[in-house]
Parts: sequence; C-alpha cells; structure tokens
Amino acid sequence: MSYTEEQIADLVQPTKVHRKVYTDPEIFDLEMERIWAKSWIYIGHESQVPEKGNYITLNYGKVPVVMVRDGDNNVHVLHNRCGHKGAKLVDKPCGKIPAFRCCYHGWRYRLDGKLLGVPHMQGYEGTDFDKDDPQYSMQKMKSESYRGFVFATMNPDGPDVKTWLGGAADVMDNLCDRAPGGEVEAAGGVLRYEHECNWKMFIENLNDTMHPMIVHRAVVDSALDYIKTLPEDSARRDEAEIIPPFGASYEVFEETGITGFPFGHHYDGGKTSIHADYTLDPDYEAAMLKAYGKERMHDILSFNTHNTLYYPSLTIKSAVQNIRVVRPIAYNKTIIETWSFRLKGAPDSMLKRTLLYSRLINSNGSMVGPDDLTAYFRIQEGLQSQASDWIEMHRNFGRDEELGDRKVGKGTSDLDVRTQFSAWRQYMTEAA
Amino acid sequence: MATVVTSNEQVREIEQLLYKEASFLDRPDLDRWIELYTEDGTYWMPAIPDQEDPHNHISLFYDDRVLMEVRRRNFVHPAAASKEYTVRASHIISNIQVQDSNAKSGACTVTSNFHCYLYYRDRQTPYAGTYTHELVREGDSYKIKSKRVDIINCDAALNTIIIYI
Repeated sequence: MSYTEEQIADLVQPTKVHRKVYTDPEIFDLEMERIWAKSWIYIGHESQVPEKGNYITLNYGKVPVVMVRDGDNNVHVLHNRCGHKGAKLVDKPCGKIPAFRCCYHGWRYRLDGKLLGVPHMQGYEGTDFDKDDPQYSMQKMKSESYRGFVFATMNPDGPDVKTWLGGAADVMDNLCDRAPGGEVEAAGGVLRYEHECNWKMFIENLNDTMHPMIVHRAVVDSALDYIKTLPEDSARRDEAEIIPPFGASYEVFEETGITGFPFGHHYDGGKTSIHADYTLDPDYEAAMLKAYGKERMHDILSFNTHNTLYYPSLTIKSAVQNIRVVRPIAYNKTIIETWSFRLKGAPDSMLKRTLLYSRLINSNGSMVGPDDLTAYFRIQEGLQSQASDWIEMHRNFGRDEELGDRKVGKGTSDLDVRTQFSAWRQYMTEAA
Repeated sequence: MATVVTSNEQVREIEQLLYKEASFLDRPDLDRWIELYTEDGTYWMPAIPDQEDPHNHISLFYDDRVLMEVRRRNFVHPAAASKEYTVRASHIISNIQVQDSNAKSGACTVTSNFHCYLYYRDRQTPYAGTYTHELVREGDSYKIKSKRVDIINCDAALNTIIIYI
C-alpha cells in the first residue's frame, strides 16, 4: 500500500476531504475492505424470496452472494461459490431451486449451503477429503433482518443491526408503519442505473439541499410552464405534486433540517419534506385509520422525510416507499438500483404512485436524475485537476446541535456530508 | 377478427409514417415529433421483456401527452445540464409487419425492428429492439396512438437514455 495509516486518516479533515478519496483506485479497494466488508450492507428484502428455494443473486462489494430461503423458512446469505472449483452456483438475478447444483461437476448443496452430495464419491476414498468438512460447503455470511430488510457483513465483531441502525431506524419503521398491515414488500421490479462516478458522490447528493433549485430548475420550469397552459379545472395529476417541489427555495429546504447519527447515517426532513404535500388517497386514509386509529395514523403520516442514508449501501424514501441501493463497481463507476415497495393492506393506487415516482425521478429516462448524474461525472472528471487537493464541507460547521444519539442541523447544512465522512474515517482507520 | 391488410398503398403509408417519426427522433426534433401523436397518445419503454402494463411495474419511460409536453420543453431548456451535450441519433427500421388492422376504421397495430445509434456526450450507444405502434386514422392521415419500445437489453444496468428511442 502506498499510503501510511496516518496519511489515510489525514484524507478527511473536519471541514474538508482530499480529492483522492474519489479518484484513487487504491483508496477504492481499501474502502471495499475496510468499509464495505465491515459495515452492514443491504442485501435485499425478505419478500423477494417468498418461498422455499427462492433466491436472488448480487455482488457484495466484489463478492458474489446469494440470498435464499430454506425449508425451515430461514433466509440465508451465502457466498455464491461452489466448494469444489469455485464456480458461481446460480447466475440468474432471481429464481427458484430445490437445491443448489453446480453446473460444472454436479456438486449439490442444501438451501442453507451445506454440501449434500458429490458424484462418483469412490474416487475420494482413502484420501483425506471429507465431504462434511465445512470448508467444502457454501460459506454463510453473517446476516440479520430488520423489518424484512436483510443486511449482511463480513465483520464477525461489529454491532448487531439494531444497534448499528440506532435512531435512524425510526425512518425504516416509518416506511413499514405506513402500511396498514405494518409490513412492506418489494413490488414492481427494479431499475439498474449505471453512474459514471464514485459511489460517495451519489450518497453525498441525497441530502445536499443546496443543489435542487439549481440542478432541477429545468424540469421544474418545464413542468410549470406546461401546467400553466392547462385549464384550471384539469384533473389533478400526481406528477404535478411530485416534480415541482424539487425546485423549492433555500428557505424551504432550510426548514426541513438534517439529522445525523453514528455509523454515517442521516436523513433530511422529519417535520416536513418535499414529499409532505402529496394528496392523501382517501381509500388509503380509511385503511390507515382502521389499522391504527386517528392519533397513531397522524403520528405516522406526519413524520415526513426526504432521503435517509444507511451508510454506505442503502437509501430509502419512507414517504414515497422506494429505496435506492448503492453497488460500487470501481472508483469511477457505481450501479444504483431503485426498488419500489407495496404497503401491505393499502389500495393499489399507493404502489402505482410509488412506481410513478421511481420512473419520474429515478429511471434512466427520467428528466430529474440525469441532471444529477451530469454533476457527478463532471466532479469525477474535474477532480483530475490538481488545482486544489481539497473539497470543502463548511456549511453550518460548528452550529450543529447534539441531541443525545444524534446531531441536528439546518436543512442546508453540510452536516450530512460531515456525518458520513466521520464514519468513513473511523472505518478506514480502525483496521490499522 | 380484424383482417390483416391490406393494400400496398396502406402499407406504404404506414412505412412513411414510421420513417418520418424516426427522422424527427434522429435530429431530435420533439416539436414536430409530438405532432405525430394523438392527444391521448403514449410512449412506453418497458423495463422487462413482455411487461404487461406501465402502471404496476416500473418502466424506463411512460409518457402521455402531459409528460411529452414537459419533456419537449425540458429537452431544450438552457438550465438542463444533461441537455448541454449534442444529441444525434440514427434509426434504421425494418421487418415492418401489420399485425392487426380494422378495415372499417383503418386503425392498425404495426410491429417493426429497429437499430438506433445514439450519440451523446462524445460516445455512441447502440440500442436495438422492437417497436409496436398502434395507429389510428385522423382525417386523411395516420396518427400514433401508442408506441411501445422493447429494447433487447431493457433489464440490464443501463446508462442515461437522454431522449426517446
């Protein structure tokens, strides 16, 4: 390694970060080892593997893994690697199987990863090969679920998921509580969107509330310009509630507030957000009222956040019911997955609105996301300049309020970025 | 069951419409493109093969007139950073087949294969797939009531698709 531990620690200062955290492939590899292999990483939702034998595949950092439900209804996260020659055992995004069977020599594994059988065993007789030696089974990752959201880690010593989520779990609870049935399920498919930037640029943008009025002005203008040509009695459109708030003023965003937590998590909003003024579907309201009563329903629906980051891999919008998952590929390439969720017990119109939101804001054909991406790849390219080695994050520095487990600041504060870089520094230097 | 066409003349008219639409997207000229669509026309790019509908599953695009009008304005908006880059396309349409045609109204469903090279941000990206156009008669000519664009890699990790294909 060409960095000393001290030099790594020095890349992050209280109000600035060194450009190399975005541009150096060596730092990226180190992040994969020290952050992505040590933190809890979002794998998928239990509803994606509803029955015995259902699986999904993905990469955890660079490691191919499979999430699968076994016959005892347990969900496992396993290394997707045959214990024999190392071939990936399943290679579709999702599927259903009675057991794992390698495409090469036919080694078979139970759904919990235990090696079941090896063809033509007599060749191993008299050797010290032991089929029951765990090294020949599929290796299990440490995994835990919180309200159906499954996380895994390579770190045997870290905190449990609940401790790690800390106060930021409130937003995941809120997402699930917004279902009259108290649970959510993944629905309506996924979008996979290639971003030509470092993974951190994407998560720094989530609660950067100083950019929307600049970056999204064009789409907001275009929408408002068309809306004003429509007759006043035109039917209400969800689009007209979803797009224009992206052009909200500094003052509006200031009011939303940023809340930061240990381990790098943060959210924007709480009392209000750019999702707060959506029309409440009367059928949904009736279902919520029935499930929770008036007071509790009000508490759930009035807790309104914009983006919440569970550092480093998962970001959710509880008020919209979609999530985006960060899958880093290289120092300058990241895949962002957008998943939509159904609120159990809610009318179908709620999922339709979520899917509309995912398409309008997060799809590859969106008029919103591509303007963010333009900023990201320009940063990635601009930082090749050595004009300065540092990127600042001063906004409202020293004015954050400490409230027990959390720090709270104004909506336009860089508290979010400082929060995640404080975690970055801690993860990156702990290993030393 | 509706009869499948039809006269050489009708097929020729349909082909000309598809080519004209493609030529507006080649430039791209959304002001003229949008005029080829009926007021209730839609443009849909599904995110999975054989996707059944645009509302209960995510799509890459699903624009009705309202979103087409917003997109037409957005595409030339000076503050849209993603639109600062030159966009040029070249569409080739072939294998045109009239699948279904109503002899009385002239309405028909037409499938075709397309290859489109899209030049954006100094790079050229190929898209390929199938178009399904629903055409209806308005006065003397055909208009597009719906266009479905099934790109063969719809479920892959894709980059930004900056304009209709």
